[in-house]
Amino acid sequence: MSTAIDDDLWSAIGDPTRRRVIDLLLAEGQGTATTLSAYLPVTRQAVAKHLVVLDRAGLVRSVSEGREKRYHVDEAQLARAVAQLNSVGAMWDARLQRVKSIAEAIQRAKNTEK
Amino acid sequence: MEYGSIERELHVDASPEVVFEVLTSPEHIRDWWSAETDLEPAAGATGSLMWTDEDSGRRHSSPFTVVEADPPRTFSFRWTHGEAETAGPGNSLLVTFELVPTGTGTTVRFRETGFRERGWEAAVLEAHYNDHRQGWDFFLPRLAASAGRLAAAR
Repeated sequence: MSTAIDDDLWSAIGDPTRRRVIDLLLAEGQGTATTLSAYLPVTRQAVAKHLVVLDRAGLVRSVSEGREKRYHVDEAQLARAVAQLNSVGAMWDARLQRVKSIAEAIQRAKNTEK
Repeated sequence: MEYGSIERELHVDASPEVVFEVLTSPEHIRDWWSAETDLEPAAGATGSLMWTDEDSGRRHSSPFTVVEADPPRTFSFRWTHGEAETAGPGNSLLVTFELVPTGTGTTVRFRETGFRERGWEAAVLEAHYNDHRQGWDFFLPRLAASAGRLAAAR
């Protein structure tokens, strides 16, 4: 349960346009910044930047095609990504247990003072 | 079956005032969330949560916006939206803590919603949620054990 990996993932998919890009790539099978931008309210250049972020997180892969790159979702990486997201619930359990132990320690200290 | 949320309920042997303080003060958030924050428990307040990777020194952050702060009963906030965005339904997860006085302690009701609205494909979401449940089954016994050790060490 590495917080760093989870946060990396959150920052890659924490952006609604990037999540839409992943959804489009899953639906279409593949796409370029140009074809994807037709479905999105942002420029081709903006889509290209989002694809770079997703690529860095390992969520998409590309093959060069003329002047453009054609992207598809890396399913193994997406499965890993989903597995990372799966730990969200478990992480809240850990956080809540820490909240409990901190609050109870403070309460015990207060009770002793009285 | 509601796939769009995580819900937990737990009892804490501390007053709602103490629990609220632990949930909302940057000093305690550093301990329970390992995050540095400029959070102010006031409705509409915005800020960020920041984590530093101990190995690489890299920093990660997430914005948050306080939705409701009604000490010592309710604390809710939105997070995981884009840095430049205004948090709202559809672009962020909503976390709510409700504190109910129970005897000498507090029942904490935790809820995180928004997974469905964030636009993931239903199949991915469902796999995600089902795995969450398996995750809880695996982690809960271990967490109870480590919490016991923590309490004993204090």
